[in-house]
Amino acid sequence: MERKTGRINEDWLALWIGLGVFALALALLAGGDLLGWAVTTRVWTDPAKALAPVSAAYSGLGGFGALLATYAILTVVLAGGASALGADAKRFALAFTVVFWLAYACWIVGSWASFAANTPADMQKFGITWSLRLTSEGGFIVALLGGLVVGNFLPGFANWLREAIRPELYVKIAIVILGGFLGVTAAEKLALATRVMYLGLASIVVAYLIFWSITYYVARVWFGFSREWAAPLASGISICGVSAAIATGGAIRARPVVAIMVSSLVVIFAVVELLVLPFAAQAFLTHQPLVAGAWMALSVKTDGAAVASGAITESLILANASAEGINYAKGWILGTAATVKVFIDIFIGIWAFVLAWIWTRHIEVREGGAAKPREIWERFPKFIIGYVVTFAVVLALALGADSATLGKVKAAMGEANTLRGIFFVLTFFTIGVMSNFRKLWEEGIGKLAAVYVVCLFGFIIWAGLLISWLFFGGVLPPPAAG
Amino acid sequence: MAEPPKIAEEIGRMAAEPLLPIEKKLIAWSLGLGLVLLVLLAALARLT
Repeated sequence: MERKTGRINEDWLALWIGLGVFALALALLAGGDLLGWAVTTRVWTDPAKALAPVSAAYSGLGGFGALLATYAILTVVLAGGASALGADAKRFALAFTVVFWLAYACWIVGSWASFAANTPADMQKFGITWSLRLTSEGGFIVALLGGLVVGNFLPGFANWLREAIRPELYVKIAIVILGGFLGVTAAEKLALATRVMYLGLASIVVAYLIFWSITYYVARVWFGFSREWAAPLASGISICGVSAAIATGGAIRARPVVAIMVSSLVVIFAVVELLVLPFAAQAFLTHQPLVAGAWMALSVKTDGAAVASGAITESLILANASAEGINYAKGWILGTAATVKVFIDIFIGIWAFVLAWIWTRHIEVREGGAAKPREIWERFPKFIIGYVVTFAVVLALALGADSATLGKVKAAMGEANTLRGIFFVLTFFTIGVMSNFRKLWEEGIGKLAAVYVVCLFGFIIWAGLLISWLFFGGVLPPPAAG
Repeated sequence: MAEPPKIAEEIGRMAAEPLLPIEKKLIAWSLGLGLVLLVLLAALARLT
């Protein structure tokens, strides 16, 4: 999907919108409630009780009023952002309207008690005897399936929506907001949070080097791909999907079409992983929750799918653990997945520079000399700055704060986190719309897909599990308070 | 407007390229360093 270039790129836009949400949330510390209008969705049996504003101060809005307010404010902000990206703001607003309502409808459907209730106590509370036990995050899965239906069975409609089909933008905004939420979590257990960061960094350095080299070898030697195809393919399959494929394609001066085709493939496989791996983690890793979080980040490609799979995994594992009488604190599994993914994103720039240096000095000697270190900054995913800022500010506010201030910080990040959930559901839905299996199959995806299948299912998933186990095995989230 | 290229056509046009010594070095160093760091960092993680 080709897009016009604007005054700002997607990373910077995500950073500013995410920081804007964060700043509005922090107003709660000064007594202002500027985000309380955001809509939350509860598990329901009576649809009239599914929605509510996140803050009691806005209870006069009612559930549907909060949904309308959320839609209107997001549309204005994102249409302005889309205009800055070079998109047609009016077309974006129209398409976003449809995307928002469809995605939110999926979330509401997914929150129906017969889909979402996950413990016997919940089922008793809702007066039901059976449930799919998808947890309150089940709406994400429904949104993904809804998006897949649109993308695969209604291609004309999907094409009409294309201006608002921006999963990477939505998830990057969500990740910036997530930083603040994880800052609160980390402040409560600083030693564990520091350990998770060290383990995350160590595990991705190892995974980068091992995954990339093996995938590159398989693509070049077993499947006979040229260097121009093999390098973006290796980065896309082994590291972080779309961003890595594009950064590597740029680094080795591959034609843009190569990165675009590899990216399409990455998204398709990420969807498959997103539908399978969290449930596999629930089945086999309930007693190693942080291994599960790291595994999602190392195995599921693209920021959106990886962090989203971390959220579903957390929900599923916490539900399983709770049924066994173990109540882990929320945020640690998702936090581990996000931390590992953020380190992966940071290293994309470094790895792309290493490849650019090798290519320009040894493979396709470039006029004007070798790659320059400033290319690391040029390829650095700027939205990560937003994540670091929100994380650090909240950590600083929460560390050593008295219980009243800490309560306010938690409430503020709770409100921001409501919008993070909404950006997640938009991510899930739009990933589904982008994933046109039939089109890629008709275009002759076979050989590319074969490399992907061999590498991903042959070793990346298993090696990712092993590396996650070696680094995070035995490290458990703290128990839930109260 | 020209039709966008199809994946199969693009791959079909791909020229055969034998693995260069520098690529072999890149693969070997990357894999070797990865395995060494795996052992070292995992051991360090267990000790701390």
